[in-house]
Amino acid sequence: MMQNSLSFFNTRILKNSLSSKNIVLCLFVLLFPAIMYYGLDSISLILSKINIYPPIPPGDYMVYITVQVCIYILLAIGLNIVCGYTGLLDLGYVGFYLIGGYTVGLLMVRLGLSYWFALPIAIIHGAGWGLLRGAPTLRLTGDYFAIVTFGFAEFLRIAVKNEIWLIGDINGFVKKIPPVSIPFTEIEFRENWHHYYHILILIAIVIFVSYRLQHSRIGRAWIAIREDEQAAASMGINISRYKSLAFAISAAIGAIGGGFLAQFWGDLSARTFEFWESILILCMVILGGKGSIKGSIIGAIFIGFLGEILRFIPDQLDLPELAGARYLVYGVILVLLMRFRPDGLIFKKSG
Amino acid sequence: MDEFFQQLINALVLGGIYALIAVGYTMVYGIIQLINFAHGEVFMLGAYFAFTLVTAFHLPFWAAVPISMILCAGFGLLMDYVAYRPIRNAPRLSALITAIGVSIALQNIARIIWGAKPRPFPSDSLPSFMRQLGQNETPEIYFSLLGIEFTQANISFSENVSIAYLDFFIILLAIILMVALNRLVTLTKIGKAMRACAQSRIAANLMGINTNRVIAVTFAIGSFLGAIAGVMVGVREYIEPTMGYYKGVAAFAAAVLGGIGNITGAMFGGLLIGFAEVFGAGYIPYGYGSGYRIAIAYIVMIIVILIRPTGLFGKSTGHRA
Repeated sequence: MMQNSLSFFNTRILKNSLSSKNIVLCLFVLLFPAIMYYGLDSISLILSKINIYPPIPPGDYMVYITVQVCIYILLAIGLNIVCGYTGLLDLGYVGFYLIGGYTVGLLMVRLGLSYWFALPIAIIHGAGWGLLRGAPTLRLTGDYFAIVTFGFAEFLRIAVKNEIWLIGDINGFVKKIPPVSIPFTEIEFRENWHHYYHILILIAIVIFVSYRLQHSRIGRAWIAIREDEQAAASMGINISRYKSLAFAISAAIGAIGGGFLAQFWGDLSARTFEFWESILILCMVILGGKGSIKGSIIGAIFIGFLGEILRFIPDQLDLPELAGARYLVYGVILVLLMRFRPDGLIFKKSG
Repeated sequence: MDEFFQQLINALVLGGIYALIAVGYTMVYGIIQLINFAHGEVFMLGAYFAFTLVTAFHLPFWAAVPISMILCAGFGLLMDYVAYRPIRNAPRLSALITAIGVSIALQNIARIIWGAKPRPFPSDSLPSFMRQLGQNETPEIYFSLLGIEFTQANISFSENVSIAYLDFFIILLAIILMVALNRLVTLTKIGKAMRACAQSRIAANLMGINTNRVIAVTFAIGSFLGAIAGVMVGVREYIEPTMGYYKGVAAFAAAVLGGIGNITGAMFGGLLIGFAEVFGAGYIPYGYGSGYRIAIAYIVMIIVILIRPTGLFGKSTGHRA
């Protein structure tokens, strides 16, 4: 157990993971904006000299959509804690995304608080709602749990649309969220590559927390609950406590995603947090294989970029009515996955 | 008091529609324990099918509605055959996720085919009594009986209380179909087979019942009833790709309230949700009622699941969820 719980810092594992493939991957991730700005744009520039105009998107746009996908990576890792580890179907994850977004947005706009104070408050706020939602649903399993979570998220969205005294505008609009600056410096997060490194750090923290939890006593307790709740209880696992913990941590991660989104977009609207967004995140987790961090990340990258491509093609072909095809594809993916690979396309579930 | 009676009539109409949709949810759940998320989409397709038959194929309304219902019943069969039957023995959550996938896919197919804009049912294709009068038209009075005036557009009880013929027709239709469904389930052979399957699918199979066929018939009946509700909502309000989602959730809440798996429960649940929505929207002050109108069904649903998961009419099954 000692070896296991220390594995993240285990030098032997660290040495093994320093393969050339991983180093290249790390460098790619770290230098991604530079590659996009200098690589992609210069390719387009060279090709344009010889009068070829392939539909290569500009580098800045690529970085922008990568940041969007990174938000989904963060959310997928968060949802994976409830859906993957404890095996409960959460259809309302977007609710915590909403809470994080509006907490940061409103604290920054209406109280003028700094992002660096607003984000921790949002995380605690999100975790609080996770516990609040979790407490009455502890004894529910299966589809009843799914339905309550779904109702919860939809209720929050409607509340945000209606509580004008709180939000300050109709339809949940929060506008002109100021850009974030690094304390004691003049640097403001305005460019897309600023946001990219910002979310990269957040993802690193979340992966670290999630990884350490998965390989700890807590993670094993979650997996035991997933496999057989009664057996887990009879082995002395405090079901309520561990489930509540999973809800709170998962909700907190969702709130981080929302908080980031608020300052990234600068505007919030209730329409961002519709039910389909939950399904999108669920689709990512299931595609990658429930219970696997790597799977969630790859699922989020795949679905996220697929969505952007499916948005890009109708734009290029000038067929706006095909924009709905995005969600059609997600639906078909869900059906096919459940039919042929219910444990996910990429990784088998661990444990 | 006039307002109260008018709201009562509106609630009855809405409740009848919810009841028609809710039986589709509850029958499927009763037999295969699946929340058929896509049922709301079948309801939406019912409206769109009738709309297309009327506008593109120029069929009369009375022909379009039954054809749309039959198409939807066929669609229910297809859905069961393609999506749900292959994973019948998989874990229950897989089936739920499949249902959500089917639901999203159908909703967006509708959006691609018919566009996202809400469309009214073309009023010149409707039978004359279903037409709604313009703002300035004063209805011609046909005759009056015991102080009740039968006019061109509605039956008017007093100056402010009236029921449109369309609404009257919806209530009547809901009652007839509910009674027919009740007879079907309690008196016929297929109804008996359904009840047997609901009790235990394995035992029913051992008794020589073709359970796959019974499940298919259940899907077909649910879709059939959903389709007519869809047409009625389409005529009364308008048709849009998300109508199945919103009305579907409210109807699902009705099914949960009545005790999921219980057909009589679904009928009463539908009425109660209709009442809660109409009176909530009408009487909760400061604009909260109308703003939270959609949320009322969610709240009822959550409270019922948390406090009494078996619903008002459901029997405790021993296992939950």
